Amino acid sequence: MSAASGPRVLAEARWPEPGDGAPPPVPGFVHSAFPPLVAAVADRCLTRRHGARPVPAGTRTAVVLVSASGDRASAEHVRATVAAGGRIGPLFFFQSVPNSVAGHIAARWGLDGPVVCLSPTGEPRADGTAEAELLLYDGDADEALLILIEQAPDGTPGEATAVLLGEGTP
Amino acid sequence: MADRQHLRITGVHALSALGRGADALLAGVLTGTPAFAPVRRFDTTGRRVTVAATLPEVGPLVDELTDAVDAACRAAGLDRTHRSAAALFLAVHGGPEAPALAADLARRCGLTERIRVYTTACVSASTAVADAATLIGRGDLDRVVVAAGYLVEPDQYALFDAGRAFAADGTVRPFSAGRQGLLLGDGVAAVVLESPAAAARRGAPTLATVPGWGRAGDAYHPCQPDPQGSGLARAVAAAVRRGGLPAEALGYVNANATGTPYSDAAEAAALRRVFGDRAGRIPVSSTKSVHGHALEASGLLELVVTVLALRHGKLPVNAGFLGPDDTCPLDVITDAPRPAVTDYALTLNAAFGGANTALLVGAP
Repeated sequence: MSAASGPRVLAEARWPEPGDGAPPPVPGFVHSAFPPLVAAVADRCLTRRHGARPVPAGTRTAVVLVSASGDRASAEHVRATVAAGGRIGPLFFFQSVPNSVAGHIAARWGLDGPVVCLSPTGEPRADGTAEAELLLYDGDADEALLILIEQAPDGTPGEATAVLLGEGTP
Repeated sequence: MADRQHLRITGVHALSALGRGADALLAGVLTGTPAFAPVRRFDTTGRRVTVAATLPEVGPLVDELTDAVDAACRAAGLDRTHRSAAALFLAVHGGPEAPALAADLARRCGLTERIRVYTTACVSASTAVADAATLIGRGDLDRVVVAAGYLVEPDQYALFDAGRAFAADGTVRPFSAGRQGLLLGDGVAAVVLESPAAAARRGAPTLATVPGWGRAGDAYHPCQPDPQGSGLARAVAAAVRRGGLPAEALGYVNANATGTPYSDAAEAAALRRVFGDRAGRIPVSSTKSVHGHALEASGLLELVVTVLALRHGKLPVNAGFLGPDDTCPLDVITDAPRPAVTDYALTLNAAFGGANTALLVGAP
């Protein structure tokens, strides 16, 4: 892939879309809406492209997760619990980094390309697309699932967008 | 002599519990005396494990990162003009503070070309290096300063303790029989990466080259590695392929091995998957056994270790080794450093999410 052409949008999804309620819980993840939101928007996007799991064999798909705030609810729970001298539940360890839910999606859909999490320094979609393009150019991935997510400071679930990028036909 | 086509490393700096600066890091990993001690930085009352590898009297992370970037740039001979045209790729724990930290660091250090912030857990820094290599190789950038930092603090410490990830015996024993887990350690590092042409224009000396790199995922589990090491094996294979080297040119692996039973075994499986029986004859060590696990910064700290080891021709010790484990049939460097017999080494990292990276490093 050349730097100039850029990857094509193969599928795109948002959560919420009209009619959506809260995203379904994700087994093994607790307390925060961040992992369910990421998993739901990723599932929706990949389903629009591929119909059913897993992705076709031989298609190395990267996961690029872009979030400025990260899993704010989990981080704040940990911070408050530690500051109060309390004990943290072990599941918080397993969801302490955005890689975990990215890995959940990767395992569920067979996405065996690179996993990259970024905190955006510019426009989030542009930052994430640039990373996806780089991974495709470099040959470590054939497609890239870009996930953009922000949680509101007040703890409301927030919203997420997922975009599947690659060289195929939209 | 360095291949003219390979990405150059022209400056490095590191801080760890072994001390400040490259000399302290090299001396520490060659001596092989673990730096773990009871944590004094914060209260560990109620934790299962109460040790880590911390450096006394560290400043705030932004100050230590600034110092590291300044030192690496000075080592590389970068003046103000060179810095202003350099990009900053920062690897840190994610959260609302990360973008502001990066902007502040860039402003303090005069690095204004482009900023990226990697929050990919324990492959953050190594992914940043791989991305920098790609962008420099493509001609998008001439020069990138990769910086990374983690200073042991109470929240991550409590999380790892809650997850029973720590070695209850207070010792990190990578690839060893009887290994019980990991221990955290401070790590702040900076590395200056340049295109061969940019380095040549400045007449900059080359500390090492980065001929190859690879990134791949396991697609296996949210936080456990594939026991067969499939993703790490593909990352290693990609790095070696990009480097254009025969397998026998590889003389050392600075392993990711954290001292965790299943993940060290998965790493050994990955190496055997790529190199076959030869994997058992490549010298391997994990210097996390000495400086601890620096999380987001581990990839850069261990890259600096690998660069220094190749330059000095000595391969560091894998401390804490009690005896061989059948699940890790590797040539682990125990007891004393070994002489480096080739000019090329790999440094490997793996993270939650099944994220894996491999960086191929060459002596100049």
